[in-house]
Amino acid sequence: MVLSTKVFSAKPGSWRAILGSLATFYERRWLIKYFVQRQMAQGYKGSYLGLVWAFLGPLMMVAMFTVIFSEVIGIRFREVTGDSSLNFGLFLYCGLVPFLAYQQALTQGVNVIRRNSDLVQKVVFPMEILPLTTVLTSLLQNAFGLGALMLVLVVLEQRLEWTILLLPLVVVPQLLLTLGLSYLMAVAGTYVPDVRETLRTFIRATFWITPILWPAGRVPERFSFLVDYNPLAFLVGAYRALILDGELPGAMASIYFSLFAVAVFGVGFVVFNRVKHNFADQL
Amino acid sequence: MSAVSVKGVSKSFRLFSNGRDRLKEALSFGRKEYGRDFWALKDIDLEVKSGTTLGILGRNGAGKSTLLNIISGMLQPTSGTVEVNGRLVALSGFGAGFNSDFTGRENVMLNGLILGIERQEIVERFDDIAAFADIGEFIDQPIKTYSSGMKSRLGFAVAVNVEPDILILDETLAVGDAVYKETALQKMYELRDSGTTILFVSHSMNTIETFCTEAVLLHEGRVLASGETTEMTDQYRALVSSIKAQKNNGRSDGEQALTGIVVPDEEGEGLEAWSSKEGPNLEHGAESRSTTGEAKIRSVELLDEHLLPVEKKVAPDSAVTVRVDLEYLEDVKESELIITLHNEKMGLKVFSTSTAQEGIPLEEMEKGEQAVVDFTFKVPLQHGRYSISAAARAGSEGLYLDRMDAARVFKISRPKDGGPFRGIVHLPTEVKVHASEGERQGRSV
Repeated sequence: MVLSTKVFSAKPGSWRAILGSLATFYERRWLIKYFVQRQMAQGYKGSYLGLVWAFLGPLMMVAMFTVIFSEVIGIRFREVTGDSSLNFGLFLYCGLVPFLAYQQALTQGVNVIRRNSDLVQKVVFPMEILPLTTVLTSLLQNAFGLGALMLVLVVLEQRLEWTILLLPLVVVPQLLLTLGLSYLMAVAGTYVPDVRETLRTFIRATFWITPILWPAGRVPERFSFLVDYNPLAFLVGAYRALILDGELPGAMASIYFSLFAVAVFGVGFVVFNRVKHNFADQL
Repeated sequence: MSAVSVKGVSKSFRLFSNGRDRLKEALSFGRKEYGRDFWALKDIDLEVKSGTTLGILGRNGAGKSTLLNIISGMLQPTSGTVEVNGRLVALSGFGAGFNSDFTGRENVMLNGLILGIERQEIVERFDDIAAFADIGEFIDQPIKTYSSGMKSRLGFAVAVNVEPDILILDETLAVGDAVYKETALQKMYELRDSGTTILFVSHSMNTIETFCTEAVLLHEGRVLASGETTEMTDQYRALVSSIKAQKNNGRSDGEQALTGIVVPDEEGEGLEAWSSKEGPNLEHGAESRSTTGEAKIRSVELLDEHLLPVEKKVAPDSAVTVRVDLEYLEDVKESELIITLHNEKMGLKVFSTSTAQEGIPLEEMEKGEQAVVDFTFKVPLQHGRYSISAAARAGSEGLYLDRMDAARVFKISRPKDGGPFRGIVHLPTEVKVHASEGERQGRSV
């Protein structure tokens, strides 16, 4: 029999307790797995194809983008030497994948405590895993989107860049960044319900100020900070460089981005753990 | 070692009259106050020894659930510490995280993981859980196809089949049909006897008296008393009575500032008995009015067929006499004396009668006058422990003059011939067999 001693006192959120929360990620790994599984399956439950849609959905989107932008509208500002079939559709979609993951993680994150109120109020539950599961789910969908993109690349251009293998080096800081933001959103959304409404506008704004629809190179000089100091811009750029161009993102930019991601995660995680004990009272 | 040790725990909730006030206070960062504190618990000390079955008594809003939520770690105390030794399962959370799109099997796994049980352990115990939940082949169906009873059974099954060291029960036995309730209750007894520490909240005095070894009485966020179960239930009844009396009469009994607004909702049975004024109103574990103290029950005796005091045991089907010695401390115009017989094991009121019901009212009594009332009846009852309570009540208003709960406890022995009968009571029976060879007659034993 495992004998465990737990002490609850009026002083939660000590540094030791916060470090302990990191350990719960490992201890409750099965729970995390089941939660992610559940969230993935949820969207497709009841459809005949089930999880296949997680791949099919993005695939249809890439196909649509490709057709619309190359054949119908005919935008081809992205120059590809020797082959002009790589078009704006793929360029747009490649930037959209990390953005959608970010968007999903945040909009889910802001609601995550309220949506799971029965867990927060009725059982002793490690709440810190809730934002993690939403972020992991969004990244998993991100992966399905990338799979679809790669399939289209192979079919249309018969090529895949080897730099794709380096993608995890970007995905890990991406995970930390979105997770940190999710923690902050979860806290904000629980205390001030109005944040949920504000968030939608905020995300829409970040979509337009990030070079997703427009190429980073065309930004006017006085607005160059939108690209230089925008972590999302780096993320989008890195995805495009690694997947479409076979190039490496800038070394310094990568380091700055990683450090920034770690910092955001640290702040978000600490803040979340400091106030998580009050969530049950807030709901 | 204490299974649960609560030291100086207080809990306050911040109340705001509206959401805007809450925001204003948050934005002022402590410079201004827009809300007020509500203290749900004040300075609670509680030691629960390993293996104890502790009943927690108190009216609605006394802080029972808050205390349990703090012990189980769902709420954080405002001050003080709680120490919990061992695996704690709170049944308030049973079925937590159930998702109606997933099968019973998947939900058992998910629910178990949520409760903090190792995956391996759930896999090993899955068969036990499924058998206990008793939902047959539905286990592989999405639980949206389940009835609500099936759902709660499944949740209950997970929680109790993982061998908790400490179990917290908050009136959750009310789920499921009668058969299942029996199983659930049996499981609770099993867990109790195997040494599980159980913290139990219920409004049913019967269940607490039969199930718990100790009890604690909470009132307005404080521990009013703690100790032996029947003492606590008596105190609780007295508390309820005094509040009730105060409410009814609009006068203060000098009993603290018990401005009781909420009428404690007891078992439905109690409330019904309350509203219908027929019959003796001495419900075990039900509403009762305050005792006015106009009379005093001096003694309650139990006598056998020869009017000799009963030495613990009574033969089934023999006649007993309950002799109540009543002294009037004031002039009382009209009164009646009620006795009630309880089966202690089942916590069941077996029989109750009164002088009025038997057609012998107690007429005008003067101050200082004494009355000795004998009730003689047969006890064709199942063997076991029984108790007798007595109460004197003013006839017209129905106020209790005095009462004595569980005044006499005695045993009914097993019948010597024929072995123990089934059921609680043996009604006089005549048996006739109509066979082809003619009629044979016989009487039951």
